[in-house]
Amino acid sequence: MSLALSSDQGIIIAKRSISLSKTFVIIGIFLACLSVLIANVPHLAGNSIPSTIPINGTEGINPIQSISYIAVPLQVFAALLFSTPVLLLYVYDKNNGVLEYFLSLGKDQSDIYREYLKSALILASVILIFEVALNGIVGLLERTSAFVLVTVPVLVVIIALPVVTFTTLAMMAFSSLQKQRVGSNQPLGLAIGVFAVLPAYIAPLVVPSATVILDSILAAVVVGLSIVLFFLSSRLISREKFLP
Amino acid sequence: MHTLELAGVDSGYGGKPILRDVTLKVDQNTIYVVLGPNGAGKTTLFRTIAGILEPYAGSVLFDGQDLIHSKEIRQKINYLSHYNAIPEEMTVYNALNFYAKIEGGSASEVVSLLKLEELKDKKVSDLSQGQKKRVSIAKVFLRDRDLYLLDEPTSNLDPEVSKEIRDLLLHISKDRIVLYSSHNLYEANDVGTNLILIKNGRIGYYGRISDLKSKEYQVGIKATSDVSKVIDAKLGEQGYYILRVSSPEEAGLALRKLVEAGVLVTEMRQLDNPLQELFENSGKSM
Repeated sequence: MSLALSSDQGIIIAKRSISLSKTFVIIGIFLACLSVLIANVPHLAGNSIPSTIPINGTEGINPIQSISYIAVPLQVFAALLFSTPVLLLYVYDKNNGVLEYFLSLGKDQSDIYREYLKSALILASVILIFEVALNGIVGLLERTSAFVLVTVPVLVVIIALPVVTFTTLAMMAFSSLQKQRVGSNQPLGLAIGVFAVLPAYIAPLVVPSATVILDSILAAVVVGLSIVLFFLSSRLISREKFLP
Repeated sequence: MHTLELAGVDSGYGGKPILRDVTLKVDQNTIYVVLGPNGAGKTTLFRTIAGILEPYAGSVLFDGQDLIHSKEIRQKINYLSHYNAIPEEMTVYNALNFYAKIEGGSASEVVSLLKLEELKDKKVSDLSQGQKKRVSIAKVFLRDRDLYLLDEPTSNLDPEVSKEIRDLLLHISKDRIVLYSSHNLYEANDVGTNLILIKNGRIGYYGRISDLKSKEYQVGIKATSDVSKVIDAKLGEQGYYILRVSSPEEAGLALRKLVEAGVLVTEMRQLDNPLQELFENSGKSM
Protein backbone atom coordinates (compact mmCIF):
# COMPACT_ATOMS: atom_id res chain seq x y z
CA MET A 1 0.00 0.00 0.00
CA SER A 2 1.35 3.39 -0.93
CA LEU A 3 1.96 5.73 1.93
CA ALA A 4 1.68 8.84 -0.18
CA LEU A 5 -0.85 11.11 1.42
CA SER A 6 -4.20 10.01 0.11
CA SER A 7 -6.02 12.06 -2.51
CA ASP A 8 -8.49 13.48 0.00
CA GLN A 9 -5.74 14.41 2.46
CA GLY A 10 -5.88 18.01 1.28
CA ILE A 11 -9.57 18.13 2.12
CA ILE A 12 -8.96 16.52 5.51
CA ILE A 13 -6.33 19.14 6.31
CA ALA A 14 -8.71 21.88 5.14
CA LYS A 15 -11.49 20.57 7.38
CA ARG A 16 -9.13 20.25 10.34
CA SER A 17 -7.91 23.81 9.73
CA ILE A 18 -11.41 25.22 9.82
CA SER A 19 -12.36 23.28 12.94
CA LEU A 20 -9.22 24.56 14.64
CA SER A 21 -9.61 28.24 13.81
CA LYS A 22 -13.05 29.49 12.90
CA THR A 23 -12.22 33.12 13.63
CA PHE A 24 -10.25 33.61 10.42
CA VAL A 25 -12.97 31.90 8.43
CA ILE A 26 -15.64 34.23 9.83
CA ILE A 27 -13.50 37.33 9.31
CA GLY A 28 -12.66 36.13 5.79
CA ILE A 29 -16.34 35.72 4.89
CA PHE A 30 -17.17 39.10 6.42
CA LEU A 31 -14.39 40.83 4.47
CA ALA A 32 -15.42 39.03 1.28
CA CYS A 33 -19.01 40.31 1.63
CA LEU A 34 -17.82 43.80 2.50
CA SER A 35 -15.42 43.98 -0.44
CA VAL A 36 -18.08 42.77 -2.87
CA LEU A 37 -20.30 45.61 -1.65
CA ILE A 38 -17.41 48.06 -2.05
CA ALA A 39 -16.92 46.84 -5.62
CA ASN A 40 -20.57 47.46 -6.50
CA VAL A 41 -21.94 50.17 -4.21
CA PRO A 42 -20.39 53.08 -6.22
CA HIS A 43 -22.58 52.04 -9.13
CA LEU A 44 -25.62 52.14 -6.87
CA ALA A 45 -24.63 55.62 -5.73
CA GLY A 46 -24.72 56.66 -9.43
CA ASN A 47 -25.09 60.42 -9.98
CA SER A 48 -24.27 61.36 -6.40
CA ILE A 49 -20.58 60.62 -7.12
CA PRO A 50 -18.78 62.78 -9.69
CA SER A 51 -17.58 60.79 -12.65
CA THR A 52 -14.11 62.38 -12.57
CA ILE A 53 -12.09 64.15 -9.92
CA PRO A 54 -9.31 66.17 -11.63
CA ILE A 55 -5.94 66.16 -9.87
CA ASN A 56 -3.34 68.81 -10.72
CA GLY A 57 -4.36 69.13 -14.31
CA THR A 58 -4.11 65.40 -14.99
CA GLU A 59 -6.95 63.29 -16.27
CA GLY A 60 -7.97 62.79 -12.64
CA ILE A 61 -9.52 59.69 -11.20
CA ASN A 62 -12.85 58.06 -11.77
CA PRO A 63 -13.95 57.44 -8.16
CA ILE A 64 -16.55 54.83 -9.13
CA GLN A 65 -14.03 52.68 -10.95
CA SER A 66 -11.24 53.36 -8.44
CA ILE A 67 -13.39 52.24 -5.52
CA SER A 68 -14.45 49.16 -7.46
CA TYR A 69 -10.84 48.16 -8.07
CA ILE A 70 -9.82 48.79 -4.46
CA ALA A 71 -12.17 45.89 -3.77
CA VAL A 72 -9.76 43.62 -5.68
CA PRO A 73 -6.99 43.53 -3.02
CA LEU A 74 -9.65 43.41 -0.31
CA GLN A 75 -11.16 40.30 -1.86
CA VAL A 76 -7.67 38.83 -2.24
CA PHE A 77 -7.04 39.56 1.42
CA ALA A 78 -10.32 37.82 2.30
CA ALA A 79 -9.06 34.71 0.48
CA LEU A 80 -5.77 34.97 2.34
CA LEU A 81 -7.58 35.22 5.68
CA PHE A 82 -9.78 32.28 4.77
CA SER A 83 -6.74 30.09 4.06
CA THR A 84 -4.74 31.26 7.10
CA PRO A 85 -6.06 28.42 9.34
CA VAL A 86 -3.97 26.02 7.22
CA LEU A 87 -0.84 27.88 8.28
CA LEU A 88 -1.96 27.71 11.89
CA LEU A 89 -2.61 23.99 11.55
CA TYR A 90 0.81 23.52 9.98
CA VAL A 91 2.51 25.11 13.00
CA TYR A 92 0.18 23.23 15.35
CA ASP A 93 0.98 19.89 13.69
CA LYS A 94 4.65 20.72 13.71
CA ASN A 95 4.65 21.53 17.44
CA ASN A 96 2.53 18.50 18.24
CA GLY A 97 4.87 16.08 16.44
CA VAL A 98 2.36 15.20 13.71
CA LEU A 99 4.70 16.35 10.92
CA GLU A 100 7.55 14.37 12.47
CA TYR A 101 5.30 11.32 12.50
CA PHE A 102 4.39 11.86 8.82
CA LEU A 103 8.12 11.85 8.03
CA SER A 104 8.62 8.66 10.02
CA LEU A 105 5.95 7.02 7.87
CA GLY A 106 8.27 7.36 4.91
CA LYS A 107 7.05 10.62 3.48
CA ASP A 108 9.36 13.30 2.17
CA GLN A 109 9.09 16.95 3.09
CA SER A 110 7.69 17.75 -0.34
CA ASP A 111 4.86 15.21 0.11
CA ILE A 112 3.87 17.00 3.29
CA TYR A 113 4.12 20.68 2.45
CA ARG A 114 2.37 20.16 -0.87
CA GLU A 115 -0.65 18.74 0.95
CA TYR A 116 -0.81 21.79 3.24
CA LEU A 117 -0.42 24.03 0.20
CA LYS A 118 -3.20 22.13 -1.56
CA SER A 119 -5.43 22.63 1.48
CA ALA A 120 -4.73 26.37 1.54
CA LEU A 121 -5.64 26.56 -2.15
CA ILE A 122 -8.80 24.52 -1.57
CA LEU A 123 -9.93 26.95 1.13
CA ALA A 124 -8.95 29.96 -0.99
CA SER A 125 -10.89 28.50 -3.92
CA VAL A 126 -13.99 28.05 -1.76
CA ILE A 127 -14.06 31.72 -0.77
CA LEU A 128 -13.13 32.81 -4.32
CA ILE A 129 -16.08 30.90 -5.76
CA PHE A 130 -18.24 32.57 -3.15
CA GLU A 131 -16.82 36.00 -4.00
CA VAL A 132 -17.22 35.51 -7.75
CA ALA A 133 -20.81 34.36 -7.33
CA LEU A 134 -21.62 37.20 -4.94
CA ASN A 135 -19.93 39.73 -7.24
CA GLY A 136 -22.10 38.51 -10.08
CA ILE A 137 -25.33 38.60 -8.11
CA VAL A 138 -24.71 41.97 -6.46
CA GLY A 139 -23.28 43.41 -9.69
CA LEU A 140 -26.33 42.42 -11.69
CA LEU A 141 -28.66 43.77 -9.01
CA GLU A 142 -26.73 47.06 -8.79
CA ARG A 143 -26.30 47.28 -12.59
CA THR A 144 -22.55 47.47 -12.30
CA SER A 145 -20.80 48.11 -15.61
CA ALA A 146 -20.07 44.92 -17.53
CA PHE A 147 -16.34 45.75 -17.67
CA VAL A 148 -16.06 46.02 -13.89
CA LEU A 149 -18.35 43.04 -13.42
CA VAL A 150 -15.97 40.86 -15.44
CA THR A 151 -12.54 42.30 -14.60
CA VAL A 152 -12.88 42.52 -10.81
CA PRO A 153 -13.56 38.77 -10.26
CA VAL A 154 -10.93 37.79 -12.86
CA LEU A 155 -8.29 39.99 -11.22
CA VAL A 156 -9.25 38.69 -7.77
CA VAL A 157 -8.81 35.07 -8.84
CA ILE A 158 -5.56 35.52 -10.78
CA ILE A 159 -3.99 37.50 -7.92
CA ALA A 160 -5.43 35.56 -4.98
CA LEU A 161 -4.33 32.05 -5.94
CA PRO A 162 -0.64 32.93 -6.43
CA VAL A 163 -0.66 35.18 -3.33
CA VAL A 164 -2.04 32.33 -1.22
CA THR A 165 0.51 29.97 -2.77
CA PHE A 166 3.39 32.36 -2.16
CA THR A 167 2.32 33.18 1.40
CA THR A 168 1.73 29.55 2.36
CA LEU A 169 5.07 28.38 0.96
CA ALA A 170 6.92 31.30 2.54
CA MET A 171 5.34 30.62 5.91
CA MET A 172 6.27 26.94 5.76
CA ALA A 173 9.78 27.69 4.56
CA PHE A 174 10.44 30.27 7.26
CA SER A 175 8.12 29.18 10.08
CA SER A 176 11.07 27.69 11.94
CA LEU A 177 12.30 31.22 12.52
CA GLN A 178 9.26 31.74 14.69
CA LYS A 179 9.30 29.75 17.88
CA GLN A 180 5.91 30.92 19.11
CA ARG A 181 3.18 28.42 19.57
CA VAL A 182 0.07 28.20 17.47
CA GLY A 183 -1.74 31.49 16.99
CA SER A 184 1.32 33.66 17.29
CA ASN A 185 2.67 33.34 13.79
CA GLN A 186 -0.11 34.50 11.53
CA PRO A 187 0.81 38.21 11.48
CA LEU A 188 3.92 37.48 9.43
CA GLY A 189 1.92 35.35 6.99
CA LEU A 190 -0.72 38.01 6.62
CA ALA A 191 1.91 40.73 6.37
CA ILE A 192 3.54 38.85 3.48
CA GLY A 193 0.14 38.66 1.78
CA VAL A 194 -0.68 42.32 2.40
CA PHE A 195 2.73 43.35 1.12
CA ALA A 196 2.29 41.22 -1.99
CA VAL A 197 -0.99 42.93 -2.92
CA LEU A 198 0.01 46.45 -1.82
CA PRO A 199 0.35 47.70 -5.43
CA ALA A 200 -3.25 46.67 -6.04
CA TYR A 201 -4.39 49.10 -3.33
CA ILE A 202 -2.32 51.94 -4.74
CA ALA A 203 -2.93 51.47 -8.48
CA PRO A 204 -6.64 52.46 -8.57
CA LEU A 205 -5.82 55.72 -6.79
CA VAL A 206 -2.62 56.69 -8.58
CA VAL A 207 -3.06 55.32 -12.11
CA PRO A 208 -6.74 54.40 -12.34
CA SER A 209 -6.76 54.04 -16.10
CA ALA A 210 -4.00 51.41 -15.91
CA THR A 211 -5.33 49.52 -12.90
CA VAL A 212 -6.36 46.42 -14.82
CA ILE A 213 -3.00 46.23 -16.57
CA LEU A 214 -1.03 46.85 -13.37
CA ASP A 215 -3.07 44.29 -11.45
CA SER A 216 -2.44 41.80 -14.25
CA ILE A 217 1.30 42.52 -14.07
CA LEU A 218 1.14 42.10 -10.29
CA ALA A 219 -0.56 38.73 -10.77
CA ALA A 220 2.16 37.67 -13.21
CA VAL A 221 4.91 38.74 -10.79
CA VAL A 222 3.36 36.86 -7.87
CA VAL A 223 2.84 33.81 -10.09
CA GLY A 224 6.55 33.99 -11.00
CA LEU A 225 7.60 34.34 -7.36
CA SER A 226 5.34 31.46 -6.36
CA ILE A 227 6.80 29.19 -9.04
CA VAL A 228 10.35 30.06 -7.97
CA LEU A 229 9.52 29.49 -4.31
CA PHE A 230 7.73 26.24 -5.14
CA PHE A 231 10.78 24.82 -6.88
CA LEU A 232 13.09 26.08 -4.12
CA SER A 233 10.86 24.65 -1.42
CA SER A 234 12.48 21.23 -1.33
CA ARG A 235 15.73 22.96 -0.42
CA LEU A 236 14.25 25.62 1.85
CA ILE A 237 11.98 23.22 3.72
CA SER A 238 14.32 20.57 5.09
CA ARG A 239 13.05 17.59 7.07
CA GLU A 240 14.58 19.11 10.16
CA LYS A 241 12.18 22.05 9.93
CA PHE A 242 9.28 19.69 10.53
CA LEU A 243 10.53 18.72 13.98
CA PRO A 244 8.82 20.10 17.09
CA MET B 1 15.96 -12.06 10.30
CA HIS B 2 16.34 -8.31 9.71
CA THR B 3 19.49 -6.23 9.90
CA LEU B 4 20.01 -2.59 10.77
CA GLU B 5 23.46 -1.19 10.08
CA LEU B 6 24.83 2.25 10.82
CA ALA B 7 28.29 2.98 9.48
CA GLY B 8 30.22 6.11 10.47
CA VAL B 9 27.03 8.12 10.99
CA ASP B 10 27.26 11.80 11.93
CA SER B 11 23.88 13.39 12.49
CA GLY B 12 22.37 16.34 14.29
CA TYR B 13 20.56 19.62 13.88
CA GLY B 14 21.38 22.84 12.05
CA GLY B 15 24.64 21.42 10.74
CA LYS B 16 25.89 20.65 14.25
CA PRO B 17 26.44 16.94 14.78
CA ILE B 18 25.04 15.33 17.92
CA LEU B 19 25.90 11.80 16.88
CA ARG B 20 29.49 11.28 15.82
CA ASP B 21 30.88 8.34 13.94
CA VAL B 22 28.20 5.94 15.10
CA THR B 23 28.76 2.43 13.83
CA LEU B 24 26.34 -0.25 14.86
CA LYS B 25 24.96 -3.52 13.56
CA VAL B 26 21.68 -4.80 14.95
CA ASP B 27 20.73 -8.21 13.66
CA GLN B 28 18.65 -10.04 16.25
CA ASN B 29 14.92 -10.04 16.64
CA THR B 30 14.79 -8.80 20.19
CA ILE B 31 14.57 -5.64 22.28
CA TYR B 32 17.61 -3.39 22.30
CA VAL B 33 17.56 -0.87 25.11
CA VAL B 34 19.02 2.50 24.18
CA LEU B 35 20.34 4.17 27.27
CA GLY B 36 22.07 7.45 27.95
CA PRO B 37 21.65 10.69 29.87
CA ASN B 38 19.65 13.64 28.57
CA GLY B 39 21.30 15.15 25.53
CA ALA B 40 23.43 12.10 24.84
CA GLY B 41 21.82 11.62 21.42
CA LYS B 42 19.19 8.89 21.89
CA THR B 43 16.41 10.79 20.15
CA THR B 44 18.81 11.93 17.42
CA LEU B 45 19.76 8.29 16.89
CA PHE B 46 16.10 7.28 16.57
CA ARG B 47 15.28 10.18 14.24
CA THR B 48 18.24 9.30 12.06
CA ILE B 49 17.30 5.64 11.84
CA ALA B 50 13.70 6.61 11.10
CA GLY B 51 14.91 8.74 8.18
CA ILE B 52 13.58 11.92 9.78
CA LEU B 53 17.08 13.39 9.97
CA GLU B 54 19.43 13.02 7.06
CA PRO B 55 22.91 12.14 8.37
CA TYR B 56 25.77 14.49 7.56
CA ALA B 57 28.04 11.51 7.01
CA GLY B 58 27.87 7.75 6.93
CA SER B 59 25.12 5.37 5.93
CA VAL B 60 22.06 3.75 7.47
CA LEU B 61 21.04 0.45 5.93
CA PHE B 62 18.07 -1.73 6.71
CA ASP B 63 18.22 -5.24 5.30
CA GLY B 64 21.17 -4.01 3.25
CA GLN B 65 19.27 -1.16 1.57
CA ASP B 66 19.75 2.57 1.97
CA LEU B 67 17.16 3.67 4.47
CA ILE B 68 17.43 7.44 4.30
CA HIS B 69 16.62 7.86 0.63
CA SER B 70 14.18 5.02 0.15
CA LYS B 71 10.54 5.62 1.05
CA GLU B 72 9.89 1.91 0.66
CA ILE B 73 12.47 0.97 3.27
CA ARG B 74 11.41 3.76 5.63
CA GLN B 75 7.88 2.36 5.54
CA LYS B 76 9.18 -0.78 7.25
CA ILE B 77 9.88 1.27 10.35
CA ASN B 78 7.64 2.67 13.00
CA TYR B 79 8.73 5.42 15.31
CA LEU B 80 7.20 6.51 18.57
CA SER B 81 8.41 9.98 19.43
CA HIS B 82 8.45 11.86 22.73
CA TYR B 83 5.64 13.89 21.21
CA ASN B 84 2.25 12.26 21.08
CA ALA B 85 1.66 13.30 17.45
CA ILE B 86 -2.10 12.97 17.84
CA PRO B 87 -4.42 15.65 16.40
CA GLU B 88 -5.88 16.93 19.64
CA GLU B 89 -9.03 18.38 18.14
CA MET B 90 -10.24 14.90 17.15
CA THR B 91 -11.77 12.11 19.18
CA VAL B 92 -9.49 9.19 19.99
CA TYR B 93 -11.14 6.97 17.39
CA ASN B 94 -11.09 9.64 14.69
CA ALA B 95 -7.44 10.43 15.40
CA LEU B 96 -6.49 6.77 15.02
CA ASN B 97 -8.67 6.49 11.94
CA PHE B 98 -6.94 9.58 10.54
CA TYR B 99 -3.63 7.70 10.67
CA ALA B 100 -5.23 4.43 9.54
CA LYS B 101 -6.33 6.19 6.34
CA ILE B 102 -2.76 7.33 5.72
CA GLU B 103 -0.75 4.25 6.66
CA GLY B 104 -3.34 1.49 6.65
CA GLY B 105 -4.56 -0.69 9.47
CA SER B 106 -7.69 -0.63 11.55
CA ALA B 107 -8.48 1.94 14.23
CA SER B 108 -10.93 -0.48 15.84
CA GLU B 109 -8.27 -3.15 16.22
CA VAL B 110 -5.78 -0.90 17.97
CA VAL B 111 -8.53 0.52 20.19
CA SER B 112 -9.14 -3.03 21.30
CA LEU B 113 -5.43 -3.91 21.52
CA LEU B 114 -4.62 -0.96 23.77
CA LYS B 115 -7.94 -1.20 25.66
CA LEU B 116 -9.06 2.27 24.65
CA GLU B 117 -12.77 1.48 24.36
CA GLU B 118 -13.71 3.85 27.18
CA LEU B 119 -11.71 6.68 25.64
CA LYS B 120 -12.50 6.26 21.96
CA ASP B 121 -15.28 8.88 21.84
CA LYS B 122 -13.43 11.42 23.96
CA LYS B 123 -11.55 14.33 22.45
CA VAL B 124 -7.80 13.85 22.63
CA SER B 125 -7.40 17.32 24.16
CA ASP B 126 -9.55 16.19 27.13
CA LEU B 127 -7.31 13.23 27.99
CA SER B 128 -4.64 13.03 30.66
CA GLN B 129 -0.98 12.82 29.61
CA GLY B 130 -0.95 9.10 30.31
CA GLN B 131 -4.08 8.52 28.25
CA LYS B 132 -2.65 10.54 25.37
CA LYS B 133 0.47 8.41 25.52
CA ARG B 134 -1.63 5.25 25.23
CA VAL B 135 -3.35 6.66 22.14
CA SER B 136 0.03 7.63 20.73
CA ILE B 137 1.31 4.09 21.28
CA ALA B 138 -1.85 2.67 19.71
CA LYS B 139 -1.07 4.37 16.39
CA VAL B 140 2.30 2.56 16.31
CA PHE B 141 0.44 -0.74 16.13
CA LEU B 142 -1.83 0.19 13.25
CA ARG B 143 0.40 -1.78 10.91
CA ASP B 144 3.00 -4.49 11.36
CA ARG B 145 6.52 -3.22 10.86
CA ASP B 146 9.91 -4.87 10.81
CA LEU B 147 11.64 -2.32 12.99
CA TYR B 148 10.15 -0.44 15.94
CA LEU B 149 11.84 2.66 17.35
CA LEU B 150 10.25 3.57 20.66
CA ASP B 151 11.50 6.65 22.44
CA GLU B 152 10.57 6.25 26.12
CA PRO B 153 7.28 4.49 25.38
CA THR B 154 6.23 4.07 28.99
CA SER B 155 6.84 7.60 30.23
CA ASN B 156 3.67 9.06 31.81
CA LEU B 157 2.07 5.62 32.01
CA ASP B 158 0.95 4.00 35.24
CA PRO B 159 2.76 0.79 36.26
CA GLU B 160 -0.05 -1.51 35.16
CA VAL B 161 -0.31 -0.03 31.66
CA SER B 162 3.50 0.13 31.42
CA LYS B 163 3.66 -3.59 32.08
CA GLU B 164 1.01 -4.27 29.44
CA ILE B 165 2.99 -2.25 26.91
CA ARG B 166 6.24 -4.01 27.82
CA ASP B 167 4.53 -7.39 27.47
CA LEU B 168 3.20 -6.36 24.08
CA LEU B 169 6.68 -5.28 22.98
CA LEU B 170 8.23 -8.48 24.28
CA HIS B 171 5.69 -10.37 22.20
CA ILE B 172 6.33 -8.46 18.98
CA SER B 173 10.11 -8.58 19.47
CA LYS B 174 10.06 -12.32 18.86
CA ASP B 175 10.20 -11.70 15.13
CA ARG B 176 11.06 -8.01 14.89
CA ILE B 177 13.77 -5.63 16.00
CA VAL B 178 12.70 -3.22 18.74
CA LEU B 179 14.87 -0.30 19.84
CA TYR B 180 13.57 1.03 23.13
CA SER B 181 14.94 4.02 24.98
CA SER B 182 14.34 4.48 28.66
CA HIS B 183 15.57 6.45 31.64
CA ASN B 184 14.26 3.78 33.96
CA LEU B 185 17.18 1.46 34.61
CA TYR B 186 15.08 -1.24 36.21
CA GLU B 187 12.68 -1.22 33.31
CA ALA B 188 15.60 -1.32 30.87
CA ASN B 189 17.07 -4.24 32.74
CA ASP B 190 13.74 -6.07 32.71
CA VAL B 191 12.72 -5.50 29.13
CA GLY B 192 15.93 -5.57 27.13
CA THR B 193 18.33 -8.29 26.17
CA ASN B 194 20.85 -6.01 24.51
CA LEU B 195 22.08 -2.59 25.47
CA ILE B 196 23.16 0.35 23.34
CA LEU B 197 24.67 3.00 25.55
CA ILE B 198 25.08 6.47 24.04
CA LYS B 199 27.87 8.58 25.49
CA ASN B 200 28.35 12.10 24.18
CA GLY B 201 26.91 11.16 20.81
CA ARG B 202 29.01 8.03 20.44
CA ILE B 203 28.36 4.39 21.21
CA GLY B 204 29.69 3.87 24.74
CA TYR B 205 28.70 0.25 25.09
CA TYR B 206 26.99 -2.23 22.85
CA GLY B 207 26.39 -5.76 23.99
CA ARG B 208 24.22 -8.12 25.95
CA ILE B 209 22.83 -6.93 29.27
CA SER B 210 23.49 -10.38 30.69
CA ASP B 211 27.21 -9.76 30.22
CA LEU B 212 26.90 -6.80 32.57
CA LYS B 213 24.92 -8.81 35.07
CA SER B 214 27.89 -11.04 35.78
CA LYS B 215 29.21 -8.34 38.08
CA GLU B 216 28.38 -8.43 41.77
CA TYR B 217 25.14 -6.78 42.81
CA GLN B 218 23.08 -6.30 45.98
CA VAL B 219 19.95 -8.12 47.02
CA GLY B 220 17.77 -6.74 49.82
CA ILE B 221 15.93 -9.21 52.04
CA LYS B 222 13.20 -8.51 54.58
CA ALA B 223 12.27 -11.27 56.95
CA THR B 224 10.54 -11.83 60.28
CA SER B 225 13.83 -12.75 62.00
CA ASP B 226 17.56 -11.97 61.79
CA VAL B 227 18.78 -13.49 58.51
CA SER B 228 22.42 -12.61 59.19
CA LYS B 229 22.59 -15.69 61.43
CA VAL B 230 21.87 -17.90 58.40
CA ILE B 231 23.49 -16.14 55.43
CA ASP B 232 26.27 -13.57 55.00
CA ALA B 233 24.02 -10.50 54.92
CA LYS B 234 24.24 -7.25 56.88
CA LEU B 235 21.39 -5.07 58.07
CA GLY B 236 21.27 -1.96 55.86
CA GLU B 237 18.89 0.93 55.17
CA GLN B 238 15.09 0.65 55.23
CA GLY B 239 15.19 -2.62 57.14
CA TYR B 240 16.77 -4.63 54.34
CA TYR B 241 19.45 -7.21 55.00
CA ILE B 242 21.97 -6.64 52.24
CA LEU B 243 23.36 -9.70 50.49
CA ARG B 244 26.05 -9.35 47.81
CA VAL B 245 25.75 -11.91 45.03
CA SER B 246 27.15 -12.33 41.53
CA SER B 247 24.28 -14.23 39.94
CA PRO B 248 20.56 -14.92 40.35
CA GLU B 249 21.45 -18.54 41.17
CA GLU B 250 23.50 -17.39 44.14
CA ALA B 251 20.54 -15.35 45.37
CA GLY B 252 18.29 -18.38 44.96
CA LEU B 253 20.63 -20.52 47.02
CA ALA B 254 20.57 -17.94 49.81
CA LEU B 255 16.78 -17.95 49.76
CA ARG B 256 16.73 -21.73 49.97
CA LYS B 257 19.02 -21.61 53.02
CA LEU B 258 16.67 -19.17 54.72
CA VAL B 259 13.62 -21.28 54.00
CA GLU B 260 15.36 -24.41 55.24
CA ALA B 261 16.32 -22.55 58.41
CA GLY B 262 12.66 -21.71 58.96
CA VAL B 263 13.06 -17.97 58.32
CA LEU B 264 9.92 -16.37 56.89
CA VAL B 265 11.10 -14.11 54.03
CA THR B 266 8.59 -11.30 53.36
CA GLU B 267 10.47 -9.54 50.56
CA MET B 268 13.50 -10.10 48.38
CA ARG B 269 14.58 -7.71 45.68
CA GLN B 270 17.55 -6.51 43.72
CA LEU B 271 18.67 -3.21 45.22
CA ASP B 272 21.09 -1.97 42.63
CA ASN B 273 21.15 -2.32 38.92
CA PRO B 274 24.01 -3.49 36.74
CA LEU B 275 23.16 -0.62 34.40
CA GLN B 276 23.45 1.95 37.18
CA GLU B 277 27.21 2.33 37.11
CA LEU B 278 27.25 2.35 33.35
CA PHE B 279 24.56 5.02 33.23
CA GLU B 280 26.18 7.23 35.87
CA ASN B 281 29.49 7.15 34.04
CA SER B 282 27.90 7.79 30.68
CA GLY B 283 27.68 11.51 31.25
CA LYS B 284 31.43 11.70 31.69
CA SER B 285 33.69 11.91 28.72
CA MET B 286 35.17 8.68 27.55
